[in-house]
Amino acid sequence: MMKYILPTLALGILAGYLNNSFGTPLLNTIFSEHVFNFSLIALLFLMGLLFAADKQSMGQIRKAKLKILLFPLAVALGSLSGGFIGGLILRIDMLAAMGVCAGYGWYTLAGPLVGQLFGLEWGALAFIVNFLRELFTTVATAIVVKVDKYAPIAMGGATTMDTTLPIIMHYCGQDTLIIAFSSGFTLTMAAPFTITGLSLIAH
Amino acid sequence: MSGLLDAAILLIPLITGMTTGYLTRGRKIFNAGKVVSVAILLLIFSLGFSIGSNTELLAVMPKVGMYAIVLLTMALFFSTLFVKAVRKLVKI
Repeated sequence: MMKYILPTLALGILAGYLNNSFGTPLLNTIFSEHVFNFSLIALLFLMGLLFAADKQSMGQIRKAKLKILLFPLAVALGSLSGGFIGGLILRIDMLAAMGVCAGYGWYTLAGPLVGQLFGLEWGALAFIVNFLRELFTTVATAIVVKVDKYAPIAMGGATTMDTTLPIIMHYCGQDTLIIAFSSGFTLTMAAPFTITGLSLIAH
Repeated sequence: MSGLLDAAILLIPLITGMTTGYLTRGRKIFNAGKVVSVAILLLIFSLGFSIGSNTELLAVMPKVGMYAIVLLTMALFFSTLFVKAVRKLVKI
């Protein structure tokens, strides 16, 4: 799946660029609005369905004590603070910058959702930031784990429930499975709510 | 106002999906994983399409890259810092 994402994005950019030069505005409306909205709504519906239907994932969080939820909370607050401070440094819209960071690494959702709610340029930024977050976690876990055993889980954000989970378990130890999974799971659930929440405040 | 409406509307499919998933728990109706992959690829393609057809956005891309590096660094730094603090506080 992962290997199709970047080629698909590149293909989309190329198609949009070519259509802008040689094609018709109608195609732009179809893809940029209708296909986009339809697939975003379908994806949100399906993700909600899969989360709630999965007995195991819910059970794993229940099994681990409640204090384990402090972990994703710290990651969420850390990411939002990072967005806030980063926004201050760059002198850009702080709420939008926080929205960008509130994808917690889930770029396939954060890019389109932030784009929809804050504007296309923020969507592009959200895609890049969250994509790099996953990429960086994948590449740097082996080094970062020396700083703190749980630092890679903090960096991985929402990705630690699936894409970066094997790497994290490999370098941080099998015992980190529950924390990594439940942190990633909670952050994945929280991402759409945090991004829409921030956009509600912004408007 | 349109932004407010957009945000509220997007929560509807998410919550509907959660309710449906909870009610049909344990029953395998269709291969959701495949449908999710198709939805993600469609979404990414159309995101690319709207980025590619927006010439003003393409022009500011180098600047976006700089923003991305600053925001990512900050998010990673504070996430790690807060997690370290929580571990000290509750001894996970």
